[in-house]
Amino acid sequence: MATEKFVIPIGPQHPALKEPGHFEFDVDGEVVKGASVRLGYVHRGIEKGAETRNYVQAAYLVERICGICSHVHATAFSLGVERLAGVEAPPRAQAIRQIVAELERIHSHMLWVGVAAHEAGFDTLFMYSWRDRETVMNLLEGITGNRVNYSANVLGGVKCDIGPEQAEMIRTGLAFLEERTQHYLEVVSTDAMFLRRTRGIGIMTRDDAERLGVVGPTARASGVPRDVRVDSPYLLYHEHPVELVTEEAGDLEARFKVRVRELFESYRVIRELLDALPEGDLTTRIPRRIKPAETISRVEAPRGELFYFIKSNGTDTAERVKVRTPTLPNMASVVVTSVGHQLADVPMILAGIDPCFSCNDRMTVVRRDGDKEVWTWEQLRQYGIECYR
Amino acid sequence: MDLVIAPGDLVAAAGALMDARWGYLVAITGLDLGPDDGRLEVLYTFAGGAALLTLRVPVPRDDAKVPSLVSVIPSVSFYERELMEMFGVTVEGTPNPDKLFLPEDWPDGVYPLRKDFSMEQLNRQAEE
Repeated sequence: MATEKFVIPIGPQHPALKEPGHFEFDVDGEVVKGASVRLGYVHRGIEKGAETRNYVQAAYLVERICGICSHVHATAFSLGVERLAGVEAPPRAQAIRQIVAELERIHSHMLWVGVAAHEAGFDTLFMYSWRDRETVMNLLEGITGNRVNYSANVLGGVKCDIGPEQAEMIRTGLAFLEERTQHYLEVVSTDAMFLRRTRGIGIMTRDDAERLGVVGPTARASGVPRDVRVDSPYLLYHEHPVELVTEEAGDLEARFKVRVRELFESYRVIRELLDALPEGDLTTRIPRRIKPAETISRVEAPRGELFYFIKSNGTDTAERVKVRTPTLPNMASVVVTSVGHQLADVPMILAGIDPCFSCNDRMTVVRRDGDKEVWTWEQLRQYGIECYR
Repeated sequence: MDLVIAPGDLVAAAGALMDARWGYLVAITGLDLGPDDGRLEVLYTFAGGAALLTLRVPVPRDDAKVPSLVSVIPSVSFYERELMEMFGVTVEGTPNPDKLFLPEDWPDGVYPLRKDFSMEQLNRQAEE
């Protein structure tokens, strides 16, 4: 009955997850009929801020756009500024950038496996994947001195080297992680209880994915062969390429499989880079002032294509820095894929795109007749779990 | 590749790319050339593999209008909402003109990524 249709606001605050966002789902009984999104609760005006800071300062600023994929932001920015200045980082620096970028992808994907498993009520997988993720966090700390916001990049190169000892440490860590990843792949593709929450849920066809312009693992899980590392190689990705990982099903199970399978590619390419680490300098000189020009720099972040547009004006400060993060196009897909699904599937569909911002502390169930009931995200998650019990 | 086109040709140009199934829309970038120049530029960047194509649409600052691309690229809404609130470019025909990133109580007519934006202006407008 039409009078039984609810509008369910979810968000914006959720202290346990990463970042806030606000959704409104129109539901007819259990079924989601429509959805809308409101972002900006963590909008910090970084694009504007980058216009008032010199390139060196802005590099630190953009690294702080994201706490998970910080390195990839600094890499995209550095590559753009270096291109504007007409310099190129030395090969050794590029190799180290790529190694750190792939380690970052490993930590990001493992974090996601844990979060998504938790939303499904599979806390054993959550605990194991986050325990194992500590290995890669330690590797990152061992190389750069930091667990997050590694600041490995400087304009014109990198500030940390990888010596034989660290290379050995990385190899040992990767061996452990690879074994664990094999186990995760088995779990996400065979565990019957888990598959009930993922198989056939949140399906996005290849046509839909292309129409919505989604990027990264979300696109690749729908069979769209789209990966900046392959399509438009940067750093040393043309000499040490990664293989494109795609799945055809387009459901949550496919999104799990794509991300877990990508981990093996990251392990392989890091080992390859360690074996063939070029000798030479870590940095090259870069002019302080940069002549007026424009450039576009694209890199593959863990969540998909990250786009930077940088315009220089002859000073030591950028005229304009535009950032388009992968979550923006992927978020549009949530609004579409959640329609027609059970409300209980919403937490998983939302987690399925690996939003680089998260949801909600509180959700209000608003009945059309004015009755109100306030739910926490925990209650919604629990509701999803109970529904499938 | 960088093509300068008029606002009136935008939908046809983007439509031709989509009909040819060439690439996808990567981003919409606003650029303020400043009060002295008197123009804004809206950059529509498409990517197909390693190739990039930018459609550059110059519009006057005091009458900034571009047509919505929603008829040819249904997922464009977020990008258009961001462009509207940050640069004060009216996107005609966009399905949802609500704010996406800025707060609900952000004053009208204040566009943070325009070059003449200042905190004083914001505070003054907010008080009114």
